[in-house]
Amino acid sequence: MVKKGVFYYIKHDFRLYLMLVIPVAYLLVFKYAPMYGIQIAFKDYNIFQGMNSSPWNHFETFKQIFSSKQFFQVVRNTLVLNGLDLIVGFPAPIILAILINELVWTKFKKASQTILYLPHFLSWVIIGGIVAQLFSPTGMLNSLIADMGGHTFPFLTDKYAWVGTYIFVGIWQNAGWGTILYLAAMTGIDNQLYEAAEADGAGRFKKIWHITLPGIRPTIVILLILQIGNIMAINFDRPFNIQNNLVMDFGDVISTYVYRVGIQTADFSLGTAVGLFQSVICLIFLLSSNYISRKLGENGIW
Amino acid sequence: MKVKASKFLLVALVTFLIVSTLAACSSNGKNTSTDTQASSNAPSTESDSTPKEHRTLTVEVFDRGKPGQPDLNNNYWTRYINDNFGKQYNATVKFVTVPRSQEVEKLNVLMASSDAPDIVFTYDSATVHKYVQQGGLTDLGSVLEQHGSALTDYLGDDILKYGQFNGKQYAIPAKRTFLAGFNTFIRKDWLDKLGLPVPTTAEQFYDTMVAFKEKNPGNVSGVIPYAYILSSTNPGVGNIFESFKPSNLTEKEFATLQASNLSVPPWNLPGYDKAVLYMNKMYHEGLISPYFATDKDGKQSDADISNGKVGAFHTNWDGPYRTAPGTYTNLKANVPDAELIPIGPWQNDAGKHPKQGYSPNGIYIFVPKFSKNADLAIQYLNWMADPENTLFLQNGKEGEDYNMVNGVPVQTGTTTSGDKMMTVANNLDYDILSNGIELGDPEKNAAAVSAGYPGFEKEVENALKVSMEDYYAPYYYSMPNEAESKYRSQLTSLSAQLLAKLIFAKPAEFESLYKSSVQQFMDQGGKAVLDDYIKNYDAQNGQ
Repeated sequence: MVKKGVFYYIKHDFRLYLMLVIPVAYLLVFKYAPMYGIQIAFKDYNIFQGMNSSPWNHFETFKQIFSSKQFFQVVRNTLVLNGLDLIVGFPAPIILAILINELVWTKFKKASQTILYLPHFLSWVIIGGIVAQLFSPTGMLNSLIADMGGHTFPFLTDKYAWVGTYIFVGIWQNAGWGTILYLAAMTGIDNQLYEAAEADGAGRFKKIWHITLPGIRPTIVILLILQIGNIMAINFDRPFNIQNNLVMDFGDVISTYVYRVGIQTADFSLGTAVGLFQSVICLIFLLSSNYISRKLGENGIW
Repeated sequence: MKVKASKFLLVALVTFLIVSTLAACSSNGKNTSTDTQASSNAPSTESDSTPKEHRTLTVEVFDRGKPGQPDLNNNYWTRYINDNFGKQYNATVKFVTVPRSQEVEKLNVLMASSDAPDIVFTYDSATVHKYVQQGGLTDLGSVLEQHGSALTDYLGDDILKYGQFNGKQYAIPAKRTFLAGFNTFIRKDWLDKLGLPVPTTAEQFYDTMVAFKEKNPGNVSGVIPYAYILSSTNPGVGNIFESFKPSNLTEKEFATLQASNLSVPPWNLPGYDKAVLYMNKMYHEGLISPYFATDKDGKQSDADISNGKVGAFHTNWDGPYRTAPGTYTNLKANVPDAELIPIGPWQNDAGKHPKQGYSPNGIYIFVPKFSKNADLAIQYLNWMADPENTLFLQNGKEGEDYNMVNGVPVQTGTTTSGDKMMTVANNLDYDILSNGIELGDPEKNAAAVSAGYPGFEKEVENALKVSMEDYYAPYYYSMPNEAESKYRSQLTSLSAQLLAKLIFAKPAEFESLYKSSVQQFMDQGGKAVLDDYIKNYDAQNGQ
């Protein structure tokens, strides 16, 4: 095989590389370049002196973080909420996708798919408002319960119940959208398999269990790896818009903590250090889950 | 083959990364160097009365997001400023909007990126202290002396001292013309219906609330005797604690235990536990809003007050009379015979009704170190201190927007919408130098303030009187509390959480929970703040 130079490949796939420039530039500008700012975590950052002239502080920020009780509380909450999201929330789109896939009436299938996608496009601010209207102590649901003679339920004011509400609302928003990938994977399954199974007398559940699920297994594994990799990363909007002062023991997570300390108190060093810590843990989770899945004989993400 | 290609990509990526880092690095370096140049230039800039070079002065303005508000950078008021101040000093004044509810966050970002306008302001003293500590503000002492004679005369040492840190004038505090803080309001028509007197003590208030709950004089579904809002920015129990606070505190106890007046509750103040217990009791009796924790912005409370479901509530001294959200106007529309009156039920052991109000300083105005226009900024404020300009900015044009009645401007209603719309009473967002109407005379001010609430002139006059009964100001400290500027926001949000839990707690668990809450508060910075106050108090009083 003759070795060909770099320019050969560039010339050969010129258009492809040209198309790649935009996403690569995006990553460089918005994902890699900001990493330069990580140094704030190791410095006594003074907003007026700027990043470069602020003095190094010999890991003082990290010492401060690891000696604070609050920090461990927010880490615990993040892990618990994401863990529950993983256990309860991860299978939801799979089940939903299978249900949709089993539908025969195409019109109904299309309509229900669209309706299920819609919540994904609502901003969390709006969902937060809906949640408050529905679940607050004098909200719609509780008024209904009270009118029917029941006892009101503290959906938002009891911290354990709040976790349930949080998880439920998350599933409501995301499950429909999550089905897209699974449904796409399902269309890739060879129809002959189903026909053969039918000929062998397999029922609906047998077909789901032995054909559909194995067919989408690679997709499930990849999404699972990605979600485990994100177990320490929690989006900001969802907890922030649903939490209230009564449930902060469980509702205060890394992202809201970073917002409060980093932005509101303008302790940028602390905020950056927590963010860095979070990213490192995420990376470790991602690498190890990928490793394990490859050991178990599945394809990892790389 | 494949390996080679990806290797190339990797190399390209790394080069890009390095190049972009270097670029960022060098541009940053440049920035800082110009910054230092600017700051060293600013005080020494030779600007005389006839400036030749045209300059641009940028000024912060609060964006309150009021429906129908005009372009905040191009309206009746900004044109007046540019036509007068601008022409006189050969300058263009540009306004930079900052959302009112996120002013501190946004300001931090603007300051960090050196994008902050020449004139910035905040009510949050902790933020000012932090900027001073980090060396980010211009010392205005010399420019004030040079260009700010009218300004100095207007504010006087009593107010200017609030802007001095370590002996240097880093901020120009605005003058607060009204020091009133908060009021408790009650539905007079409900009292009358039940034949009850106006409550004058905490116990009477409690009994009244019970009566409201049981007899439901308004005949509404879901009656809320006392609407309580647990604000996340100013968490507290309102003036209730005054009832339980001993009247014989020493000055030092008062100065150190009740120092962070509104944003952090005085957890260590004797009697504060009883006040929180009072709220706890009210909650468990179903006397306060059941949704107090989830109603984060107070909108639900406002709606319930407007719909006539609420018997009493605690808010800003003029809260219900304000045009936004217009609680009283809406209430009257929904329940025509409703009557709200301010009351003072929080009587202490000496038979007084003390109410903490504001200190005489208002918003802190300051100039970032990287600004090149410190002199122009002071000239701007100096211009604003001119009574004629103050009068115009707060009221508009005589004969058009207001008429002088007994020496007091009375609005004609032209400034409630469109181009002339004031997003806040008396245009305080543009007239930053005075917090509240300023006619140069306290009595006139008092008469004028009521004119700012069309339809409620008498009521507002009375509300002001009630809220100023036994008024006292927070203790004045001549030096910043370093721990407070560091921990304030965290302590504020922590306090909101602790208060919510305490009010919610089972009465049997209250006492132990209160102890552990205070402990938690002290551990997370409360102790450092208190120690600093004690240290500062001793230093200030030469002990």
